[in-house]
Amino acid sequence: MTNSNALRITLGLLALMTLGGCATTPVQPWERGRLARWDMRWDPDPLQASMADHTHFSKEGSNGHIGAAGGGCGCN
Amino acid sequence: MHRSLIVAALLACASAAFAATHLIAIGTPAPSFDLPVFGAKPGHHIGLADLRGKVVLLDFWASWCGPCRQSFPLYEKLRAEFPVRDFTLLAINLDEMADGPTAFLEEHPVHYTSLADPAGEVARQFGLIGMPSSFVIDRDGVVRARHTGFKPQDVDALRNEILELIGTDANDE
Repeated sequence: MTNSNALRITLGLLALMTLGGCATTPVQPWERGRLARWDMRWDPDPLQASMADHTHFSKEGSNGHIGAAGGGCGCN
Repeated sequence: MHRSLIVAALLACASAAFAATHLIAIGTPAPSFDLPVFGAKPGHHIGLADLRGKVVLLDFWASWCGPCRQSFPLYEKLRAEFPVRDFTLLAINLDEMADGPTAFLEEHPVHYTSLADPAGEVARQFGLIGMPSSFVIDRDGVVRARHTGFKPQDVDALRNEILELIGTDANDE
């Protein structure tokens, strides 16, 4: 085996090992307790989130970006 | 060389994808287990073998599982519809910590027993793909029906499945 072939094989094996690092063990259905926690939610407080959104689209004139109807006047 | 690397990489990805659990097939014997009874004295265990001769509804639940809040009162009613000599409803809790299910059971009191499987070993053996999951097991310990998730109308299907097993087995005797 030439040096260049040995180098290729070593690099190939290293690449495979790197790919192996991408393999994940999926979270099983019964392991989702922590993910289901209230403080793991994207918006833990829906009321506060909707108020923040309202302020945002009123300031930006971008009403509708979260699915609400209206013209961006901030009055609805 | 490059081609073989690509093939190897694809195989690695495929093997990772297939590592997911598989739901136990209908018609196969239910995996045997022997788990501690939740909230009971240490050493009090119940196994599936102890229930041989009865139709068993096995319900996997957790305190953080939303649909379980719906299923508990409905399962409690369903349990009362069948004679104790023919049918047992057995629950298996999958919470990692005991405080969650304790509070849950105070909020949703039921008369059926919950076993504790905090490591999820039995859940893995049954190959759960969602929460909650329930399995109807016949008198010989064979899985006859399985349900993933819970909707109130599932109780009707469960009732029919249990009735069929109780009735069929009674005729055999």
